[in-house]
Amino acid sequence: MKKFNIKTGLLFLSMALILPAILQAQTPANDLSVLNGLQYFWIKTGFANFQFNNLIMIAVGIVCIYLSIAKKWEPRFLLPIGFGIIVGNIPFTPGFQIGINEPGSVLNMLYNGVSSAWYPSLLFLGIGAMTDFSALISNPKLMLLGAAAQLGIFVTFIGAYALGFTPAESGSVGMIGGINGPAAIFLTAKLAPHLMGAVVISVYSYMALVRVIQRPILKFLTTKNERVIHMKAPRQVSRIEKIIFPVLGFLLTSLIAPAALPLLGMLFLGNLLKESGVTEKLADTARSALINTVIVLMGFTIGASIEADRFLTLNSVKIFILGALSIVIATATGILFAKLMNLFLKDGNKINPLIGSAGVAAIPLSAKVSQEMGLKYDKNNYLLKHAMGPTVAGIIGSAVAAGLLLGMLS
Amino acid sequence: MLLTANNWSRMLINSLIGILVILVVLVILVLLSELIQNIMIQSSKRKMIKEGKNEAEIVELSADDVAAISMALHLYLDDLHDQESNVITIKRIERRYSPWNSKIYGLNNLYR
Repeated sequence: MKKFNIKTGLLFLSMALILPAILQAQTPANDLSVLNGLQYFWIKTGFANFQFNNLIMIAVGIVCIYLSIAKKWEPRFLLPIGFGIIVGNIPFTPGFQIGINEPGSVLNMLYNGVSSAWYPSLLFLGIGAMTDFSALISNPKLMLLGAAAQLGIFVTFIGAYALGFTPAESGSVGMIGGINGPAAIFLTAKLAPHLMGAVVISVYSYMALVRVIQRPILKFLTTKNERVIHMKAPRQVSRIEKIIFPVLGFLLTSLIAPAALPLLGMLFLGNLLKESGVTEKLADTARSALINTVIVLMGFTIGASIEADRFLTLNSVKIFILGALSIVIATATGILFAKLMNLFLKDGNKINPLIGSAGVAAIPLSAKVSQEMGLKYDKNNYLLKHAMGPTVAGIIGSAVAAGLLLGMLS
Repeated sequence: MLLTANNWSRMLINSLIGILVILVVLVILVLLSELIQNIMIQSSKRKMIKEGKNEAEIVELSADDVAAISMALHLYLDDLHDQESNVITIKRIERRYSPWNSKIYGLNNLYR
C-alpha cells in the first residue's frame, strides 16, 4: 500500500511537471488543435495564474481558520473571513463576472453590503436587540467610563497620522481602539476602503485577545483594596424607562453626530424592538437569524476582498501595532477615569475600577474580564452586571466617535 | 502626506473636539437618565401613597435577597416542567389509503 502511494504520488508529480511543458510548447494551430485547446484551458486555470502572493494570502486565510477553530478566536467572524481570504486569492482570468471587483458578479453584489456600509448597520440592529440598557439606566454615571475609554480612538488617530497615514486613513485606524467591529467597518468603508482587510482582522483579533491584553493592565493600575470594592446593587428599572431610553438616546446622539445616523438609528431601533414588549418576534429575528446571516456574508466578502498587494504591506504591520496600542490606552483611560470618579463619590457609592476597562465596546468580553478579576480577589464580588453599563456606553460612544470622525474627515 | 504644523494643529484640535463631544453627549445622557429616574421614583412613591401604603413600608431588597428569590423561582419553574404523567403511550394512527405503491396500477399487470 505504501509503495502504491509512492508510485501514485510520483506519477501525479511527473504529470504536473510535464503537462504544462507540453502544453506551453509552440505547436502549429491546425496540426495539434487538441493540444491548443488544452493549452487554452491551462491558461485559464488558477495554477497557470498562481503567484507567490496568492500562496501567502491563502496561508493567512488558513491561519485565520486555525485560530478560529483551534484557539476559538472570535470564530463567528474569523472563520468566514479566513475562508473568504482563500476564496478571494484564487487566481482567475478576469472578464467572466467572477471576482469581487467585477461589477455584476455574485461576490461583488454581496460586497456591496460592506462598501455601502449596510452590513454594519444591520449588525447594530442585532446588537441593539440583544443589549440590555438597564445596567446603564439604573446607574447612569457608568456611562462616563464608556466615554473615557473612547480616548483610545483619538490617541490612535493621532498616532496613525504621525506614522504617515492620511487623516482619513488615520480615522479608520483609530476606530480599532473602540473594539467595535461594525463601527470600524462602517468608518473604513467610508474613509479608507483599501485598509479594510488589515483593520477588520486587527479589530477581531484584538477582540479575541481582550482578556490577554486587559488583565495585566487591570492588575497594574489597581490596588488590592480597589479590586474588592463592592458596588451597590443596581435598582430595578421599569419598563417605561427602558422604552424611553432608546428614543431619548437616539435623539440626543444622532442630533450631535448625524453622520452616525445609520448606526445609531439601527442600534436604538433594535433595542426598542426588544424593550417595547410588542415586537418580540422582530427582536428575536434581529438578534439571531438576521445578525448571523449578516455576519456570514460580511465576514466572507471582507475576506474575499483582502488582496495580497493591499494586505502584505508595511501599513498593515503599523495598523496591527497601533491597534494593540489603542486597546491598551482605552483600557487604561477607563480604569483611571473610574479612579478619578471615586475621588468625588461618597463611600458606598464608589465604583470598582475593574469595571473601567469594560468601556471598550468588546461586548461582552471586556465585561467578563472585569467579572473574572473581581471574583479572583473576592469570591462574592459579582461585577458583571455593573460592567455591562460601561460596555454598552462604549458601544454608543464608539458609534458617536465614528460619526464625528466621518463628519470631520470626509 | 506632508506633516506641517498646520496639519498637526488641525489633527489635535479635531481629536480634542471629538473626545469632548463624546464626553458631553454622554454627560447629557447621564443627566437625562437621572432626571427620568427621579421622575419615575417620585411617581411610583406617589402611586403607593395613593394606594394607601406608607413610604416607610417600601423596603429595598439587598442583592443577595434578589439572587436568592431569583434562584428559588428558577428552581420552582424548572421543576414544574419535569412533572410528567409517567404514562407512556404510543398513539396508533390509522393509515389512510394511498395508491402510490399499489401493485394493481403497476405496468407489469399487463403481462399477467
